[in-house]
Amino acid sequence: MKGEIKDLKGASFYIKRGLIYMVLILWSLFTFLPLYWMLVSSFIDPNSSASLQFTLVPKEFTLASYSYFFTFNKNVLRWLFNSLLISGVVTLANVFFASMAGYAFSKLRFPGRNAFFWTLMSSIMIPGQVTLIPLYILVVNVFNMSDTYFAIILPGVVSVYNIFLMKQYMTSIPSTLIDAARIDACSEFGIFRKVIFPMAKPGVAVMAIFTFVGQWNDFFWPFLVTKTSTMRTIQVGLSSFKFADSTQFGPMMAGAVIASIPMFILFFALQKYFLQGITIGAIKG
Amino acid sequence: MAKIIFDHVTKEFVDDKKGRVKAVDDSCFTVEDQEFMVFVGPSGCGKTTSLRMIAGLERQTSGNIYIGDRVVNNLHPKERDIAMVFQDYALYPHMTIYENLAFGLKNLKTPKLEIEAKVKRASEILGLGDLLERRPRELSGGQRQRVALGRAIVRNPKVFLFDEPLSNLDAKLRVQMRVEIAELHKALGTTIVYVTHDQVEAMTLGQRIVVMNRGVIQQIATPDNLYNKPANMFVAGFIGAPAMNFLNCRIEQKHFVIDQDTVFGISQEYQKLCKPLIGREIVLGIRPEDIYDPHLAPNLKNPGTLHAAVKVVEKLGAENLFYFDRAGVTVTARISAQSRVMAGEHVELLMDLDKVHLFDKESGMAIR
Amino acid sequence: MKKMADADNRWARNRQFIQDYGWSYIFIALPILIFLTFTLYPLLRALVMSFQTYHVMGSEWVGFKNYAYVFHRELFSKALINTLLYTLGTVPINIIISLGLALAIFQLGKKSQTFFKASFYLPAVASGVTISLVWLFIYDPMPEGLMNQFIHLFGFANVNWLGKVDTALLSLMFLTFLGGHGSGLILYLASLGGIPKTIYEAADIDAASTWSKFRNITWPLLKPTTLYMLVINVIGSFQVFMSAYLMTSGGPDHATTTIAYLIYQDAFEYFEFGVAAAESFILALIIVAISVLQFKYMGSDVEY
Repeated sequence: MKGEIKDLKGASFYIKRGLIYMVLILWSLFTFLPLYWMLVSSFIDPNSSASLQFTLVPKEFTLASYSYFFTFNKNVLRWLFNSLLISGVVTLANVFFASMAGYAFSKLRFPGRNAFFWTLMSSIMIPGQVTLIPLYILVVNVFNMSDTYFAIILPGVVSVYNIFLMKQYMTSIPSTLIDAARIDACSEFGIFRKVIFPMAKPGVAVMAIFTFVGQWNDFFWPFLVTKTSTMRTIQVGLSSFKFADSTQFGPMMAGAVIASIPMFILFFALQKYFLQGITIGAIKG
Repeated sequence: MAKIIFDHVTKEFVDDKKGRVKAVDDSCFTVEDQEFMVFVGPSGCGKTTSLRMIAGLERQTSGNIYIGDRVVNNLHPKERDIAMVFQDYALYPHMTIYENLAFGLKNLKTPKLEIEAKVKRASEILGLGDLLERRPRELSGGQRQRVALGRAIVRNPKVFLFDEPLSNLDAKLRVQMRVEIAELHKALGTTIVYVTHDQVEAMTLGQRIVVMNRGVIQQIATPDNLYNKPANMFVAGFIGAPAMNFLNCRIEQKHFVIDQDTVFGISQEYQKLCKPLIGREIVLGIRPEDIYDPHLAPNLKNPGTLHAAVKVVEKLGAENLFYFDRAGVTVTARISAQSRVMAGEHVELLMDLDKVHLFDKESGMAIR
Repeated sequence: MKKMADADNRWARNRQFIQDYGWSYIFIALPILIFLTFTLYPLLRALVMSFQTYHVMGSEWVGFKNYAYVFHRELFSKALINTLLYTLGTVPINIIISLGLALAIFQLGKKSQTFFKASFYLPAVASGVTISLVWLFIYDPMPEGLMNQFIHLFGFANVNWLGKVDTALLSLMFLTFLGGHGSGLILYLASLGGIPKTIYEAADIDAASTWSKFRNITWPLLKPTTLYMLVINVIGSFQVFMSAYLMTSGGPDHATTTIAYLIYQDAFEYFEFGVAAAESFILALIIVAISVLQFKYMGSDVEY
């Protein structure tokens, strides 16, 4: 039956389809090109003449650029560890605090709820540049936290955007479940822990992934508040390479690969969450 | 032993547009121990709010609520010894049926063996035995409904609260579950408060019924009395389907005068009632089932003739519904299916004058 | 006696309040605290700073001097123009690309849709630093640079992409076209999926052409998404910093100095905190004004 219907579509349908596929594949190759080239050139020997010759198929395959990158600064592994630690802590904190706040704002009634919510939301509209300087002075001079994990982590412990995301997601959980849990003698925190949080897991997963990637890729704030090489994150470390030696593209690309590979792996493993996550906050916001 | 008493209970909400709204206005009633009480009314009448106040999910603005001998005004739901069945069942989707049933007992720190025994017994009563390891989404609507009942039963509470529990089921299942709930009440002997907007459910299940409208209690009575002696036009119109017909009417010496073609003699029983009302305009109510085709009518002591230009005939199988205009309103009559009257005909129908209801025109209250 | 009863009452009321709402406030306590410390306080402090000349030991109140300075500063107008050009040159084109890709992908089967969604989203997972470094490489001024090799194919001569005033800003704009369409694409696909098929069927019965269907059905119904994308992207593009910082350092001859980069320079290279604060408030005002205008102009006939 299905086949018959398809047959009716005729040749023009398939030509149109084919054209669409061609355009899409070409365009996606275009967008892949920079990343592809990053990968290819990272396998070129930094000292060979091929290092600046672009070819679609790599002419050589050595890990010399990688070893160069790792020896360029003895702290490269430490940077990766720092990034992992910071991103992990920030993600965990957001999972915990943003989902609690999202629950309160979506499902609980209390005096001042809307006022609190919109006050928090307004901070999304404030460009980062405005608060940047006093924030820097506060963290570095007042709290004296320069060059600590705290300095990097603290401002991001719970993001307003994540609260918004969780609120949007949790609104779809039926409120009668909360009533039922109250009748079932569940404590208020128990309702959050045993009923709401398990039900919001898909939303929480999306939030966690975006938070982790965002934090891993964050450059500017860690760059501002870290001074010593050992406290840098991988992004800050990578950018310092640029300034140190801008002619060594091979090792630079090797570093870029190392900084982005964990995120690519995460993306391929959790594609589903990435792709559905974007729409939670935006549609009918 | 648990009766429920509402003592001048009022609940106000603050609405963004309308300001303060009284969802329940000065409500007073008693639900007797082991009674099956139904709250019925259109949406927004305050029936669900009343139920939620009994449950402790809402706090009343003023007044006292008693369950058993205790004032429960400030008690948490878990301290009230109640269980509740929700309209959408409110089963926890991430838990198995067993976990759903056991959740309340677990929170009350019941010993594990006791939980197992109680869940087992409830699942036997409701025929859920082989579903315990499933999750709610794998169950049919009727099965979910049973789990929701089971969750209430395992708690063995003094009071059962039902919030429109059958409205998400299809018509056939609804009838079946209605019977089961009635049987359950007999078996468990607990006090039940049951909220519905469906008057058939209310009439079939309730030992007594509270009819509410706009936060105000209209009448509290047994199903019979509600049908036969409605306290006001709202109750008269709400109970019974199709709804009661209301005709404007002037009372003269010995007659109800509706229009020049429609004049009825006032029967013996009503004469005393009508005496002080002579010359006044009132509303006369007659139920569709108290209007007959003259060929098929039983022996009526006091029949009145109603001229009808039948606009539409709806055939329902066992009976037909006639619609015709009289004195500016569309009148519905419920006539036996054997009637040969067709749409477009002018016929004379008979009305049972011993079954008319009289209402005050201004207040809508029944004149008795 | 009465006093005691009053106190009892108050105590009972307080207890009731805590019982009813206590947990709600606990749930939102940390976000509020974070907001007060890391947003509200810095915001107010920045406002004060914009009227001061900052010294570590006691700042000096200078009134509107910083603002006056910024308004007359040639570099600020230049940065403003650069930012505006960057926004005008990237936002509309990127929205059109996202929409075009979404329209094309939407016609395909479910599996192909997922495949293309994923492949267009992938570049967004790479960090700004990575992207900047790769493009630094692509824009290499030597003949061996990828971009130069590419234009050689068409017989053009070598270009110092990032090093020349004419091409530097254009080069920064161009790199946004190849990547970063993932989220816009997914949003458009989601809203396309939300348009009821019956509308198109009705249009088919009315013998509407493909263009007329797009013009009269698709485009108006996608307007909320377009508005959302426009607002978000304009806000983002007004704050563009990374590529200017990592690839060109604002040069050559300030050709790629954006407002965000200027603020950074004033604050953290010249330590002119007051001036930087004043500039940041002007930036914030511009962003708010543009967002409001967009909502007014485009949002008036958007139905949600």
